[in-house]
Amino acid sequence: MINNVQALKIFIWGLCCCLFYVAAYGGSYSQDSVAVLMQQVANPSDEADRSGAIQKLLQNESPAILPFLAAVQNTALYEWKGELVSAHKNPDTPEGYMLLKKLYPTYATLLDDEQQPLSVSQEELESVRIARPDRLLISGLGVRTNLFNPNAQLRAAAYTEASQSDDIAPELLSWALAHEDNPKVLLAGREAYCYFQMTQATTTSEIKLWGDSLYNTGGSNAFQLLQNFAKRDGVAEEASAYLLSQAEKLAAKSAWMQRIQNVFSGLSLASILILISLGLGVVYGLAGIINMAHGEFLMIGAYATFSVQLLFSNVFGIQSSDWFFLAALPLSFIVAGSAGLLLERLVVRRLYAKPLDSLLATWGVSLILIQMARWIFGDMTAVKLPAILSGGIHVSPQLVLPYNRLFIIALTLIIVALVYWVLMHTRLGLQIRAVTQNRSMSACLGIDTKRVNAITFFIGSGLAGLAGCAMTLIGNVVPDMGQSYIVDSFLMVVIGGVGKIVGIIVSGLGIGISSKILEAFFEAVYGKVTILFIIMIFMQFRPKGLFPDKGRSAEE
Amino acid sequence: MLLKSDKIIPVIFLLFFAILLPLGYSTGLVSINSISLWGRYFCFAIAALGIDLIWGYTGIMSMCQAIFFCLGGYGIGMYLTLQTDSAATFLPDFMSWNNLTELPFFWTPFQHFLPTLLLGLLIPAAAAFIIGYFIFRSRIKGVYMAIITQALALSVYLLFLRNETNMGGTNGLTNFKTLLGFDLSEPSVKLGLYMVSLATLAGVYQICRHIVGSKFGKVLLAIRDSESRVGYTAYRVLHYKLTIFIIAAVIGAIAGMLYVPQTGIITPGRMDVKASVEMLMWVALGGRGHLKGAILGAISVNCLYSICTSVFPEGWLFILGVLYVLTVLYFDKGFLGLFEKLAIRVGFKPRKTETAPYPKSIIIK
Repeated sequence: MINNVQALKIFIWGLCCCLFYVAAYGGSYSQDSVAVLMQQVANPSDEADRSGAIQKLLQNESPAILPFLAAVQNTALYEWKGELVSAHKNPDTPEGYMLLKKLYPTYATLLDDEQQPLSVSQEELESVRIARPDRLLISGLGVRTNLFNPNAQLRAAAYTEASQSDDIAPELLSWALAHEDNPKVLLAGREAYCYFQMTQATTTSEIKLWGDSLYNTGGSNAFQLLQNFAKRDGVAEEASAYLLSQAEKLAAKSAWMQRIQNVFSGLSLASILILISLGLGVVYGLAGIINMAHGEFLMIGAYATFSVQLLFSNVFGIQSSDWFFLAALPLSFIVAGSAGLLLERLVVRRLYAKPLDSLLATWGVSLILIQMARWIFGDMTAVKLPAILSGGIHVSPQLVLPYNRLFIIALTLIIVALVYWVLMHTRLGLQIRAVTQNRSMSACLGIDTKRVNAITFFIGSGLAGLAGCAMTLIGNVVPDMGQSYIVDSFLMVVIGGVGKIVGIIVSGLGIGISSKILEAFFEAVYGKVTILFIIMIFMQFRPKGLFPDKGRSAEE
Repeated sequence: MLLKSDKIIPVIFLLFFAILLPLGYSTGLVSINSISLWGRYFCFAIAALGIDLIWGYTGIMSMCQAIFFCLGGYGIGMYLTLQTDSAATFLPDFMSWNNLTELPFFWTPFQHFLPTLLLGLLIPAAAAFIIGYFIFRSRIKGVYMAIITQALALSVYLLFLRNETNMGGTNGLTNFKTLLGFDLSEPSVKLGLYMVSLATLAGVYQICRHIVGSKFGKVLLAIRDSESRVGYTAYRVLHYKLTIFIIAAVIGAIAGMLYVPQTGIITPGRMDVKASVEMLMWVALGGRGHLKGAILGAISVNCLYSICTSVFPEGWLFILGVLYVLTVLYFDKGFLGLFEKLAIRVGFKPRKTETAPYPKSIIIK
């Protein structure tokens, strides 16, 4: 009997297992059938087969198949190593490379070994071509597939659209959000999701709750969305007043963020200007010469950086490395400095007695240098931003402090400290200051003033080259890039007073920050004009600059 | 000898351009385009005379002279724009793009010729007065002056580039048809404008000679060589500098007003910093401190420009740059100084003649 009971137990167990197996098999069968249908879409035996497969897929309600359909609809479907993926370009990926997203059963960006998005050459990808009629079948899903569009902007727009329609299931939105990995789209999606929930909410407290969530997203549209919802018909008085006050708070917060951003961009502009003007100012103080080709030394520094990059990638074969920039920093200083030394030896040396003539001669040199750069390098090139300096600190969605600008500010701080140290604590600095104050007396005391001139010119031009190297981080490299900042830096030297580092720093900060703040109110051009007028008025009261020399030597 | 050669050269110049060149045109040897080109060179030469007055004679290096040239040019350009058929009934194109329905107030005086002529001279004069007053009052000079005026040139240039200032933006003013009822594309009108330019050049040259030769001119030279000493001898340096600055601006404006009908276009590109510095270089190349040098420099640089840009367009800036550097370094008296040296070497000229207004003796007196 016991055997019988045991046999029954075994039988029941077996049955259970069988059932479970069937259930499990059935489950995986339905999953597999989606995968099979997708394979049919990608590699159909004939065209009708493909249309049929798409039709069948459309009947499936699960959100998990939508990414696949979106890829089909936007002709972004590719086969890669036997897997169906969608591919899209990204500003960060190199030319000819694309980022991949796995579509089914999981929907996620493919990563490489270092957990970075995997970029794959277009040649490795096999495009799946699907005829237009078949793609049109999918358009009935409308905004639902757009939530998975390979294009990030369209995705963000789709969220906004979805939040305003009534027949979208909240589950779909939250599922899409859970699989979104673009921060900008994610932000827009969260905003849209909160708004959607607000429209679906029935009680005041629910509306307040979702309003708070919307406030906390801190996105750029949150203010507008809160206001819009508060003004909708049928929203309770209490809720709408609450939402409006939240919107006000948000506006005040973003205004502050904007101010901080302005000051930050002003600071970064100022640091560039200071870097450029430092050399100009020291040379002007020493020899009374404004080097109109100073901007071109900046250009030389930038092209030196570009050449170092070429050297690293083409000769040494070091691709995608940040080392080139580290090597370029001292090199740009030396190259631009040597060019400056050459200019001093050949041209400026003969013109120390005639500062206005040297102005014209150096202007001529600047024309020559620009034309030579155009002949050698062509019209426009760019230096690749080192990976370590791309991105930035996200303080809030409105306030991002880019690493490259932070780097420039830090570089400027170091350089200013270094120049200050050289001027104040070395023998050379002592000589430079002595010649600046009284050239003939210095010569009488045995200082080789010609040598001091040459060394100062070398350092001054080198600093411009360093500025050029830094400028490659934030802009293109073009032959006349020196021209855009040079007039500002001339003005800075004038405002600062003859050869005063403090003057240059103060006027640089002044011009940089005030022009960014003025630009926030006016157009950039009017900001510039306003600053010029302020400077003209300033010069009425302090014609010798902020920190003029005092005493008899200051006259004439 | 000196007196004679002083008069001979202008006479030859006038004879050649007033009689020979038009004759060449009427016989078909010279095309109307090259006549018009020379007309434009004369306009540049007029502007160069103004620069020579303030830089060569007074020692003020102003890097914003192109502004005054263009203010005059824009004045006549506005008048010409309003003369075209479509503008008589409608607004100029770029204004309708700006969604304007009626003429901006500062365009209305330019509907008629006389007010245009008057304003074309008055506005640059007023601008020069304001700029000059504030700069000279605070005793900004030398390199500072150059930098401030350079920044000024840049900001005015940027203002004219904007579309909302209603001055045509980057494209400037163009498509002119008639001037006082004359068709500007007509060869005879072009010849007429050429003759007017030549006559104006001769007139301005005479006036400049008069200024330079007068007591006023001597004070200018004194300011150039030692401003503070002139001040100590109770001359109002500010007044002298301001006067000559305004005169130069008006001369520049006259040149601009003659230039625009002949080229048929005026854009902000004519007034950027580069344009102003180039004007200085005409004078430096020709020989500063000599009125003839200014004319010679303006004409020869522009001739060279026309030749170079047609032969090898990319090299022009390079050539210009090399020319600048060489002039400043090796012959700071310009072409004129070079000719003089040659003349002395060949034996045309006695060795010791102090040409031109050379300053030191005047001051010490």
